[in-house]
Amino acid sequence: MQSKMPPQAYIDQAWFDRERDLLFKPLWQFIGLKLMLEQHNSFITRTLFGIPIVVQNFRGELRAFENICPHRQNPIQLEPHGVRPLFCGYHGWSFDSEGQTKIPYEEALYRYPQEERNCIHLRRFALEVVGNLLFVNLSENPLPIKQQFGAAMLASLEQSSLAYDSEVIMTTYDGRFNWKLAYENLRDGHHPRYLHARTLYQEVKFAASINEDGVAALRRQQQDDLSDPKRALALMRTFSGGGRDAPMEAPPNEHWQQFVERYRDQDWYYNWLAFPNLHIASSNGGHSFIIEHHIPVGPGRTDFMVYYVTAKKKKPYASSAAVLHAHMMGADKVLREDIDVMEQIQRTLHPGARPPHLGDYEFLNAGIEHWYLNLMEGTFAL
Amino acid sequence: MPYKYIVGHGLDLQRAMAAWREAAPEIELRPVELNVRADQAAMQAALEVLEVEEGTTAFVAADAYFLNLHRLEMMSILRGRGITMPALVERGAIVAAGVKILDNTWIGAGAVIQPGCRIGFNVVIGPGAVIGGFAQIGQSAFIDAGVTVGHGAKIGAKATLGMGVSVAHGVEIGTLSVVDKPMRVEANVAAKTFIQSSHAHPMVMMGA
Repeated sequence: MQSKMPPQAYIDQAWFDRERDLLFKPLWQFIGLKLMLEQHNSFITRTLFGIPIVVQNFRGELRAFENICPHRQNPIQLEPHGVRPLFCGYHGWSFDSEGQTKIPYEEALYRYPQEERNCIHLRRFALEVVGNLLFVNLSENPLPIKQQFGAAMLASLEQSSLAYDSEVIMTTYDGRFNWKLAYENLRDGHHPRYLHARTLYQEVKFAASINEDGVAALRRQQQDDLSDPKRALALMRTFSGGGRDAPMEAPPNEHWQQFVERYRDQDWYYNWLAFPNLHIASSNGGHSFIIEHHIPVGPGRTDFMVYYVTAKKKKPYASSAAVLHAHMMGADKVLREDIDVMEQIQRTLHPGARPPHLGDYEFLNAGIEHWYLNLMEGTFAL
Repeated sequence: MPYKYIVGHGLDLQRAMAAWREAAPEIELRPVELNVRADQAAMQAALEVLEVEEGTTAFVAADAYFLNLHRLEMMSILRGRGITMPALVERGAIVAAGVKILDNTWIGAGAVIQPGCRIGFNVVIGPGAVIGGFAQIGQSAFIDAGVTVGHGAKIGAKATLGMGVSVAHGVEIGTLSVVDKPMRVEANVAAKTFIQSSHAHPMVMMGA
């Protein structure tokens, strides 16, 4: 079947801006791991669609705010993570868990009229904690997170992420590709046989196949009227899912695995795809997890943030840092194969490029595409 | 006649054999080919069965694999068997008076260790590296050939500095960190931070 996705969806700034407003702003977006925010005053900062965000722990309460001091727009927290009160180093303004500010020398130097003073506080964003996963919502009236992912997916994300250990390694790749290429790649079960033939496919034999029920559902969906937002939301929930994906070729047998509380007990590759831009996998039967967050930066740029954790340690062991480092280096090989191909595709795209031809095995991507184009065309709104 | 086991793999083993032949021609050398990337249990078993007599010594020659923990592990097994593990200082290395070179530390040919340095055990300092005065090098650190460490700099235990790295005076590199990208390091590097040519941004670690 020929795709209807125009090349502009991947290369055009105006399209990207519209996508930000119609898709990302209404939806919950992953922002980090709760295990990074265990201490009072611990924080993480991220930038989502140009909006700087800080998530801060206030004596156990997590809050998400715009990371901009209302006085002179200086970022309040400067580092990607750390432990520090929410305090602007420029003029000493400090902020509490409600975003209210204490201003040094306020009467002597500022003399804000009461009406203006009442408006001086941090802009707060909705934050949801799902196990160890943190999601923010940039809209003023966020939809319930259950409506985005569905109860079963949320339960699976919660249960699996609670198995994470407290020690995490992370990095960011500067992806020169559109974020949608990442979710399309992840829902394409046929590429590992070729692209990852010498890496991931050696450990797990992913076998793509045509799901006739899925194809039939796609055909019905393509005839559907998506003008009903409830119907559109229900359809979107089917884009997220997780659990067992494919059996491992050999049982896990790394030395360190005896030191962690394994998630479940099956020698399977686990995979969670949370639409639109979060992917979590465990390639070794629940002994460790990789969390990939594809943050759209521009039509041809994606910050590809990667976190790696083992399952919870039974007790500390000397080589845990080396285990995380070694696995991150190992994951780099597979990630680079994916990133390289996505960047190659991005480079081929131009305003007159012809749309791709999807096979029936790609019914998942075809279904998302149909839904997505209806959203972008204004058939429904989130 | 005393003999010495040289434990290692590939080029590291060959280089250590050549260096020890030159440094101590009177000692019989017995190479033990043992890949540090091999299964840990197999490695332990191989080292446990080495025949040991009075006067037997050993030296572990290995790279920074697994954040230097495999080299440390091999050394620990041999020390645990009561085997002494003198340091290797290659020809042409200049070690300032008063600087102690501890067990299983390997100072490469032409390296310069300036006065006041404190160097831990099981450290590798590659050929031609320069360690500035009063610098501190933590145990099991790995400093590759030609690296420059400034005066008063502190290199944490099990840290790795790759070829082409220069650490400015007084800068601290945290425990278990890796700087393996040609650069001059002007600011302190936190523990468990990995700055590598393979990655545009550092890999950082949080929690424990």
